[in-house]
Amino acid sequence: MLYIAVGTNADQTISAELVEEFNNRLQLMEKGFRQIHPNTRFQFSLYPEDKLEAAIRMRNRAGLGPDLVYTNGDTALRLMQQGLVDPYPATPALLHLFNPEEVARLRSRKGELAGLPVILQTQMACFNREAIPQAPASLNALLTTGARGHPIGLSVDIFNLFWTAGSLGAVTAVDQVVEGRQPSTRELGRMERWLAWLQEASNQQWVTFYANQESLEAEFMARRLDWIPCRSTALSRLRQKLGRALGVGTLPAGPQGPASPVNRVRVFALGTSSSAAGRERAISFIRFSVNPLMQRQITMASQNVLPANRFVKVPVRSSNVLQAMVTAEEQGGQVNKLNALLHTNDPRIAKSQQLITQLVFGEVSPAEARRALTQILRPPRAAR
Amino acid sequence: MKELLLEVLGWLGYLERPAVLLQVSLTVAVMLLCRAARRRRWLRRFPALLYTPLGLAALGLIITVLSHLQQPFGLMRLLGLLWLGSFSLTLLHWQLGRWLSAPRLHQLESRLLRPAYLLMAGLLLISEVDSLRDLAVAPLGELFGVQLSAGKLFHALVVTYLVLVGCGPPAAGLAWLAQRAVGFSDGSRKAMELMLRYTVVALGLVAVSVHLGLNTTALIAVAGGLSVGLGFGIKEVFSNFVSGLWLLFEGSVRPGEVLMIDGDPCEVRQLGLRATLLWRDRDNAELLIPNQTFFTTAATSYTASDRMRRSQVSVGAAYHHDPAAVLALLEATALEVPRVLPEPAPKALVLSYGDFAINYALRFWIANPMDNIGICSEVNQAIWRAFKAHKIEIPFPQQVEYSMVWPPEQHQTNTGRP
Repeated sequence: MLYIAVGTNADQTISAELVEEFNNRLQLMEKGFRQIHPNTRFQFSLYPEDKLEAAIRMRNRAGLGPDLVYTNGDTALRLMQQGLVDPYPATPALLHLFNPEEVARLRSRKGELAGLPVILQTQMACFNREAIPQAPASLNALLTTGARGHPIGLSVDIFNLFWTAGSLGAVTAVDQVVEGRQPSTRELGRMERWLAWLQEASNQQWVTFYANQESLEAEFMARRLDWIPCRSTALSRLRQKLGRALGVGTLPAGPQGPASPVNRVRVFALGTSSSAAGRERAISFIRFSVNPLMQRQITMASQNVLPANRFVKVPVRSSNVLQAMVTAEEQGGQVNKLNALLHTNDPRIAKSQQLITQLVFGEVSPAEARRALTQILRPPRAAR
Repeated sequence: MKELLLEVLGWLGYLERPAVLLQVSLTVAVMLLCRAARRRRWLRRFPALLYTPLGLAALGLIITVLSHLQQPFGLMRLLGLLWLGSFSLTLLHWQLGRWLSAPRLHQLESRLLRPAYLLMAGLLLISEVDSLRDLAVAPLGELFGVQLSAGKLFHALVVTYLVLVGCGPPAAGLAWLAQRAVGFSDGSRKAMELMLRYTVVALGLVAVSVHLGLNTTALIAVAGGLSVGLGFGIKEVFSNFVSGLWLLFEGSVRPGEVLMIDGDPCEVRQLGLRATLLWRDRDNAELLIPNQTFFTTAATSYTASDRMRRSQVSVGAAYHHDPAAVLALLEATALEVPRVLPEPAPKALVLSYGDFAINYALRFWIANPMDNIGICSEVNQAIWRAFKAHKIEIPFPQQVEYSMVWPPEQHQTNTGRP
């Protein structure tokens, strides 16, 4: 038996559909793996990402921890730093399969590897093709689409809104602040323009900001919104509701460049409670899950994730969705530094979200918001 | 359902881990040792109640050692906590026994405390090996077109159970308040309490159905199906249920009422959904009689309009005593018995002239019909003492014996005359 603990992101509610989706994906891998290890069975448990740490800590303490943890890269790193997962004993040949930047983000200061990347979940634009024939290519086109009476939805959740920072050239300023460096006046100006755009967008009659990605998707599925930024993991749910009306495209570029979506690397990390045989099975399964054949199968079967193995070519010509995901993967490179420095559970995220909410409701001006955000995002030591 | 069963069976795989096996084995060993020590009294002067704390202390010591050795101990700690919880229930039993009657305590423990403990223990153990949120969405199948998940069903069952078990005290409280406000009888209060319980249970079941997502059309379809079923299979059950409700509304058979069943006064203890529970004082028997019986057959009640009963004892006095004096004495005697009501006043009557005594009846009123036999006994004893004091004879049957002669013509009476 191989026990897997799965962390679900904030925009994923644990539901029968999500369990089924994960089960289908696992069954695909299980089927292949059991051809080599016929006696292995799988059991997975889903935990919200913010409860994962506590759940694993409790289970490990009882010796009942999972053999594998399937979670976001930053969470895996945090779990390893707290001794809740074991470092992955990767060989250079194995690591060669992955993007070195991604692998570097999974390493601790001691150089230990928190887990092995399995898939990449990207952020894209989802739209109702019955209302909008094509996804708006730029921020101006997006606002124009809204002005024509097509409801646009955005989320105040900073991770799901940060793609706008790239389009408006604010990524460098944010990176510098998060690193503890002082951005130049020009960079600060770009940051302020980004915040001003957000406030301006919220003043549009047909642009609505939602508290989280989940409610945004619910409104989109109810066809009350015609365009939203969406996560690739939500595509199967959205497809079920909207059918052929679902359109998927890249996020709009801006005057300063392409969008900067925050993609997620999902990794398999090794639990600490496994028996010797369990550990062997777990390592073997991780290796199996990143082999090119399996990676291709996962990508093609789900059409909502990208392979982490960089040598697996995605047939982008066969599908617009895959094309959009590959573009998002390329665009996501802009926020690699931010991803490494600012983890999902960082208290600065919650504070930023609060500030963005105040900004879109017009309670603070873009200039005030820029000053406050600079203060909030500074690393704890630099803030002191 | 299959997925859920496979999930549960999958937990057995944890026994492959040495750390889990060690914790389970040590905990079971300590529990068995503690049990054996208590049964065989290994420590002679040690009170039996303290064996469990001793076992828990031993478990705590092992946990500390495991913790120092940096070995997993959480499962052992949880099992220890559950053991402690079980022991606390035993202690609580002693404490509650001081304030609650035995049946009440048993009811509280078997219906609320122990099921709640088992539920909590189960949830804690499952959360050690799996995600409860994940299990809650496991599909179990369809019911009237609604997808049923383990969590939904669990919630529905818990709410139903709580409604069935927990609505008693609030209903009793509300009925008591209504009685204080309006001033109706105890019987009416009990009837109101029962009706409130039925209402809450009915509403609770509807709420659970809505929570499960059953649509009203499906419920109506079920009701239609039931009505056909009622005509055939469960006619008697339904008839008893409706009879019970009717009797409650009518107020003829309510808890506290005294009815004559086969010549014996019986007190109604409980009017259930199917049958009425009565208590017979004579032999302390509890009779379970289908509600329909009271609905279709005649019953004698001593408590329909009031709880008083007119009772009667019979006695014979010799012919040479003046009947007027005997009647006066009987009435005065009855008044001296404490449990005989002074009003309406006891009444003595000359019933008939018997073979060897004048037969009298003494009629009197008592407050509680269930006390009839005891009070009759007291009155009879008082009559015996009063007759003795006033030298009134209770004659024995008398017969005159004489020898017959043959032929009968030669027979003579004792006086010598033919």
